[in-house]
This record gives sequence, C-alpha cells and structure tokens, in this order.
Amino acid sequence: MVAAAQHPNIELMTYSEVTQVSGYIGNFKVTVKQKPKYVDWDACTGCGTCMEKCPTKKLADEFDFGMGKRTAIHKLFPQAVPGKPYIDAENCLKLTKDKCGICEKVCPTDSINFKDMAVFKEIEIGAIVMATGYDQFDWKSAYGEYGYGKYPDVISGLEFERLISAGGPTGGKIIRPSDGSEPKNIAFIKCVGSRDDTKGKSYCSRACCMYTAKHAYQVKTKIEDSEAYVFYMDVRTAGKNYEEFYQRALNAGAKYIRGRVSKIYPQGNKLILKSEDTLLGRQLEVEADMVVLATAMVPSTGAAELAKKIGFSVDKDGWFQEAHPKLQPVETFAAGVYLAGTCQGPKDIPDTVAQASGAAVKVLGLFSKTELATEPMTSEVDISKCSGCGLCVPICPYNALSLVEIKERGGHGHGPFTRQVAEVNSSLCQGCGACLPACRTLALNLKGFSNDQLVAEVDALCL
Amino acid sequence: MKKRVGVFVCECGTNIAATVDTERVAEYAKTLPGVVYATNYKYMCSDPGQELIRNAIQEQNLEQVVVASCSPRMHENTFRKATATGGLNAYMMEMVNIREQNSWVTHDREQATRKAQSLVRMAVAKALRNRPLQAATVPITKKAMVIGGGIAGMQAALDIAEGGQQVVIVEREASIGGKMTQLDKTFPTMDCAA
Repeated sequence: MVAAAQHPNIELMTYSEVTQVSGYIGNFKVTVKQKPKYVDWDACTGCGTCMEKCPTKKLADEFDFGMGKRTAIHKLFPQAVPGKPYIDAENCLKLTKDKCGICEKVCPTDSINFKDMAVFKEIEIGAIVMATGYDQFDWKSAYGEYGYGKYPDVISGLEFERLISAGGPTGGKIIRPSDGSEPKNIAFIKCVGSRDDTKGKSYCSRACCMYTAKHAYQVKTKIEDSEAYVFYMDVRTAGKNYEEFYQRALNAGAKYIRGRVSKIYPQGNKLILKSEDTLLGRQLEVEADMVVLATAMVPSTGAAELAKKIGFSVDKDGWFQEAHPKLQPVETFAAGVYLAGTCQGPKDIPDTVAQASGAAVKVLGLFSKTELATEPMTSEVDISKCSGCGLCVPICPYNALSLVEIKERGGHGHGPFTRQVAEVNSSLCQGCGACLPACRTLALNLKGFSNDQLVAEVDALCL
Repeated sequence: MKKRVGVFVCECGTNIAATVDTERVAEYAKTLPGVVYATNYKYMCSDPGQELIRNAIQEQNLEQVVVASCSPRMHENTFRKATATGGLNAYMMEMVNIREQNSWVTHDREQATRKAQSLVRMAVAKALRNRPLQAATVPITKKAMVIGGGIAGMQAALDIAEGGQQVVIVEREASIGGKMTQLDKTFPTMDCAA
C-alpha cells in the first residue's frame, strides 16, 4: 500500500468513481467523480485530533462489519493510505442538523470544509486496467437453514478475519459477537453460495478451501482446548504449498467432516448443526459456539455497469469477460482495457498478483510503441450519395459518426451552396457495421465488408 | 474481376478433418471462378502451413487468399501476416470458419463437407471484390488508469510505474488496499496482509 502511495509515477484518486469513459485504445477520456470528503487532504496532516474530539462516536464501523465503533469523521481504518480522515455526511451532526462543528474548531490546519462538493475531473489516458475485485455473496438473503443472519454467532469468513486480526475490533481475540465470550467449538461451513445451483452460484470460489484451512489452524493454535469442525464437499488445494498447508491444519487437530450442513438452530447459548458424514454414511449433530461460513465471491457492486460504460462484456455470473479463456486471459474485447484479479473471476492472492503483473505488461507493451496502427476495416461515406439525413449518427455506439457541412460548386443555374453529409472518425469507428442498414442511399460502406461484397456472397450461396 | 485466388483448407489435426472432407473441399474450390490454386494441409497456422501460403502466393502469382480453417478470432492475424509476408496487402485474405461453425457443431460428414464448400464459394466471391486497405496510425497517451485500488490494482499500478510510465489509481473507498486490508494472516505462508 505504502509503496503504491509513495511511487512518484503513481497518482492516487481515492474516494473517487469513474462516471464516464469515451475514446479508444491509446486515447481514452475518463471522467472521474471525486466524492466530497469535507476535509482538504492537501492541508490535513492526519494528526487525528478531529477524530478524537468528534462526539458522534458510536457508529457501526463498516470496515469491521459493525463489530467495532467509529466516529463520523474517520479514516477507513487506522492504517489507511492516504492516512487522512473524511466525514461520513449521513451521520455528521453539522452536515445533517447544522450543529456541532467541533472538528472545524479543533483542526490545527483549517482543513475542514463543510461546503465541500463533488468534483468531476476529465483525465486523458492510453490504457485501462480493471481491478474492481469482488464482494461477498449475500448469504443472509439466501440461506434460511443457516438463519438468514438472525443468529449473531453465525458469521462470514471475512468477519472472522476481522476477529482474528491484530488490527481488528478485538485486537485479535476471537470472541462470540453475541456475548463477547471466547468460543471453544467453532464450526466452519464451506461452499456457502459456491457450487450451489439452487441458492447460489454454480462456480467454485477457489480461495475458500485454503482460508478455511487457515481459520481452522488459527482456532486450534489460538484457543486452548478448542475444536475446529470443517464441513466440506471437497477439499481443493491446487496451488503451490497448498496441500502441505491443509495437512498442517489437519495435524493441528482440525476435524474435517464431508457433508453439507442442512440446518443450524440455537439451543441455550449454543448452536446445533445438523449434517451427515457422507464418508461414514450417517447423520450427525455438532454443537458449536460459533459458525463461520465460507461465502462465495461475487462480482463487485456496480462492476457490470462500469463494464457497459467502457464497452466490454461480462459473463453469465457478472465477472468481466476475458477475450479468450486460455490465450487472452487479461485482455477484454475492448482494445486497451485489461483485467487484473478477481474482477475477472474468483481467485486467490497469488493468482491475483500474477494476473495484475500480466495486465501491467500488456500496458507497458502498448506504451512501448510510439504510435498505434488502427484497424482499417471502418465505415466510409460516399459523399456523392449521402443525403445528410443524419439517421446513422445516433445509431453509432462509438460516437464515430457526425454531420459536417461541405461546400458545393453549384451549376445548372444554382450558385455555390453548402450541404450536410455524414463523416466517419476512423479512429473511433470499430467497424461494427451498425450504421450501414440505416443508410437509405447506400452511401455508407464498411471497408472489407462492402455492400457489393455481401451481395456477391449471398449470390454465391443462393444462385 | 479476373483475379487469381488461392484457397487453403485446414484440417486442424482432426478438429476439422474428422467431420469435413478437406480434400474434397479443396478439389471443389479449384472449380470456382477465379481460383487458380487450392490445397488442404494438416495445420495451416503452423510454420510449414504459413510457408505453403507464402510460396503459393509467389509461385502461383496469387492476388487473393482464402483460408478455410477456424474462427477469425483465433487466427485472422496469423493469416493476414502470412499474406503480407507473401507479398500481398494483408487485407487480401478472407477467412472461412469451418471449425467452430461447422465441424464442431455436427457429426454429419456429408452435410459438413457440403457446408464447407458453400462457405468457401461465398468467401471466394467476396475475395474477388477485396480492395487493399491501409492501417492508419494514432498517437498513444502514455498514462494508464487502474480502476480499483486493491491488491490487483496496486500490483498492476506498481509494475506499470516501475516500467517508467504514469498511472492513476481510482479507488471508490477513502483508502487503497481493498479486501486485503481486512485480512489477518494469509495462506500458505501466514505472513501479514498489510
């Protein structure tokens, strides 16, 4: 993180979103919306006085899934990069009720600006790397048998990460969210939302087998006299040193049970898991203090809309579609737009890093050229036939067509005059041919797929 | 219109040849107007296959090339390059997809062969009307944008930056780091995620 922030060639635009993309490979124009932070980060030193003095202290911290508390003016997490705070406008007393304003008074550098507005910036770039990542599958709306989220001690793997993290809300102590006590028996359920056609996704999320092994290992080594039960369909450890790591979890005492948990219900302050052991062929019930669900990865919120804005496609599950599953795994169908990480499909950290480096090489390869050859199979206008009706202009998905005025000499009793004709920007034209059917005078032609060529093909087939 | 066309029918190992009688397609192609040369070969995209195209262009004075093989998405560039190194404009090459849209979608050898013949007949008619095209050039803005500042975005940005180019990272949260910052230790080495 710090390396990326400090690199002289990297500019960070955090708390920002891409709103518009136009142009083509080598020459994109991107509009970025910088959301209002209400803090001037150029002036702010990140001293933290404002966060200490903010009276709105008991907001649920989203970063810790509500298990921790935060103030209205806050950093995303203590080690945030850049290490500057911003105001949560929905919960700030000054911004909602025009009261308080303490942060403004205590700020030694006058960085607080309650009148901050969103800023739209247009940036010219030559290549785009998509790295929008993933979200967790919303198990609470799908898995009634696990309680639809109404049992506080049934949590997701990422929530468990916050509990075991030294920087988390408990400083790394594993506790039950319900009563703060230390759990002894923890059950892990894999493939929640993954490999489940009826309730979730058909695909395997690829990282869960390994992080569940890690969680089980951590439970066994962090909590004395603990039990870690792992309910699984398969154990997939395809990665360097992965199988060895799984064995390490087994050797630490993790108990792996092959079977799907069919129901979780509370009994006293415990949770009972009903399942079967398909290897022994019998029903079983396990009593647990806490249950951790290995939830599926799903595409990041808004990813599909972003893909549409830029002009490439997503697959049936909403992951960004690579140009070829084996030979072009980092390219998209939009030239100059590359993919890195889980936005293309579920993967673990080593694969993510490898793909990101691959995408970087594609960008560097593109930038190693001084200029770029364009595809010559574009539309062309025969201005002697064009009536200037303009029907083709709104049809072009790449905004490559426009109307221009040309001067005619006149004759037959007419003086010189001007008229409108269509013009193709061949840099923008992708040669899709959508404009051709709109042209009533056959003035438009696609080079390499001209009207006479298509007619010749049909004739060859039919005559 | 009297142009000299060469037709090259690929077998793609058994991908095409198992379902399409490529020899018969080549023989049929020789009967089409304009075609002065036609042949089939095991792997047209391979080095010897491309050499076959280059040699035929020169020895037969070909003016147009038709390659009946896989999807243009797969090898259009390959055959355009072979056509160009053979001495023709790269766009004097027509590709016919007799794999994805033919041999892979049926088991009926007779029908598949007849379809391949029809597709080749169409492509030859089109090739006769091909005009040389020239690629234009556009300048490149040497600055990249990485959308998303998680581990993937940071790694891509760092590699591009280390390569000496400018990068902008656009991140919707107020900090870069993404999901990694929420993780504790990571498998299989158990090192920290920060």
